[in-house]
Amino acid sequence: MLEIKNVSKTYGQGTAKVVALSNVSFRVDEGDFIAIMGPSGSGKSTLLNVIGGLDYLSSGEVVLDGKRIDNLDENDFVDIRRNKIAYVFQQYHLLPSLTALENVMLPLTFCGLGKGEEKGLEILKGVGLGGRTEHKPSQLSGGEQQRVAIARALVNSPSLILADEPTGNMDQETGKEILGLFQQLNVDGRSIIMVTHDPDIAQHAKEIIVLQDGQIIDRINQKGGKQ
Amino acid sequence: MKLYQIVLKDITRRKKRMLYASLGVVIGVATIIAVLTIALAGETDIYGQLEKYGANLVVMPAISDIDVGLGGLSLGTLAVGENYISENELPQIRQIADGMIREALNIEDEGDIATIAPRLYMNTEIKGTSVIIVGVDPQQEWQLKTWWRIRDGEYLERADQALVGAMAADLLELNVGDKIALNGREVTITGILEETGSNEDYQVFLHIKTVQEAFDKEGLVSSIDVRALCSACPTSDIAGSINGNIPGVRAVAVKQIAETEMGMMEKVSKFLLALAGITLAVGCFGVVNTMLTSVHERIRDIGIMRAVGASRNQIIRIFLYEAIIIGVVGGLLGYVVGTLLAYIVGPLIFGGVAVTYVPQYFLPALALATFIAVIATVYPAFRASKIKIADSFRSL
Repeated sequence: MLEIKNVSKTYGQGTAKVVALSNVSFRVDEGDFIAIMGPSGSGKSTLLNVIGGLDYLSSGEVVLDGKRIDNLDENDFVDIRRNKIAYVFQQYHLLPSLTALENVMLPLTFCGLGKGEEKGLEILKGVGLGGRTEHKPSQLSGGEQQRVAIARALVNSPSLILADEPTGNMDQETGKEILGLFQQLNVDGRSIIMVTHDPDIAQHAKEIIVLQDGQIIDRINQKGGKQ
Repeated sequence: MKLYQIVLKDITRRKKRMLYASLGVVIGVATIIAVLTIALAGETDIYGQLEKYGANLVVMPAISDIDVGLGGLSLGTLAVGENYISENELPQIRQIADGMIREALNIEDEGDIATIAPRLYMNTEIKGTSVIIVGVDPQQEWQLKTWWRIRDGEYLERADQALVGAMAADLLELNVGDKIALNGREVTITGILEETGSNEDYQVFLHIKTVQEAFDKEGLVSSIDVRALCSACPTSDIAGSINGNIPGVRAVAVKQIAETEMGMMEKVSKFLLALAGITLAVGCFGVVNTMLTSVHERIRDIGIMRAVGASRNQIIRIFLYEAIIIGVVGGLLGYVVGTLLAYIVGPLIFGGVAVTYVPQYFLPALALATFIAVIATVYPAFRASKIKIADSFRSL
């Protein structure tokens, strides 16, 4: 479903030139759960941004369902964000003025599907927040906010979820719960690419891609991942 | 959930910012509404005067003022000419007025048409207070002063009677039946007028013959009021004809005075509206500035919305919806503030003119404010739509 072919990304020019990614290639199939692991500055978040159309690559190709998507501009990427790829961020990125349910319904609003309340409620129940639907982000804990963000990512039924350090702001116990949720989504048939710097968290994925200085230095198949 | 609901919820979180953004629009719209409301009150007042006195023209002695000076120093003005008009001119004035009205309206009846009311003004003292005495032809005066109402007693009929203005009666404590001494003569107050809001309230009216005899001014009058049959009658032409045919007098049609006043008012209103327009333009820049700040403050929110599927057009629409809300709030407050301003300032400018709120200005005020707010938001909204998602998250 997703192919990353010889992707490179550089910032700056001349002596200020920084190579963030260098000839990165890998493939994501339906049902994959890949953890991209590496130390800070290894290029893992840049890779996720390039895949998700949040940033442009310098060379290479990103192909989704047989079509190149790396050469689309941000506005042309709107349909892909609405239907195929969803994001979960480390900082949750919820709108503070909206309730949990309204945040979940936000993608539906932008798709023009104004009435998505039932679907939003169902998904919030699915992530264990059936009783917190009318709470604003400021009234929710970090773990609960991330659940809302995951519910928001699921509401349009995307085939691929990109998660950037989704447990980075949580304690160990809450992080485990969120990882369990990702594993359940994967079991339900969604492909997941998760960025993390923590080997313990990466172990929950089916495959680990290790990045260093913008290059893949190792690939570890974990046969289902740590439960 | 609809797009506008997202905007409404966000605005309730940032009420102060929104009010600040609408302040520029409020000031601009308030100024325009105040100017228009005051101008309308002034125009209404002039039209009212025209309705009341429109058919009138006033004939006065042709006195001219000349500047008296020594070298470059001005020592004041000197009135040159007769202070009175001879009563002998009355038949000719009637002839001119009636003739022109007959011609204009195709009237064949040979009887009197215009009301010709001569007046003689004198200053005297009653109970030790200086008072203007007005000698009038009671019958003609009554026909002319259609707005006069008698508060107490009866209207003036005979040479030994007097009619007193409301304020003069109150200030001098004069009542019906009281006697006034006038250069050795004695007249009895037969009636007191209701308040008219003009200087007539401070005057005492007597038969013109009585005043002429008492002040040794037989055969002379100070001015002559002529009331044509209708507002559409050619009063300006009558005035022109009187000026051309009778030497020593100056006739002015009230309509001409009102038109001059109206012209002045229009010029002042246009100038004030231009100032208000500048205020609105400054307010518009205020909205641009506030909205640009708002874009900067909400860069993260814009990034989030783009990341979950908002298109550039939807981001622009979100800001334009905000602009509409700012415009509606600004227009509403602007209308209220402008009307209040008109109530306070209007009477000070036009000397007691009654200002009333104008409901017809409400919707145009909203429309103007919304238009300005939307125009001012186009550029900030466009900037917001151009924000890159990765940049918005990096900026945190």
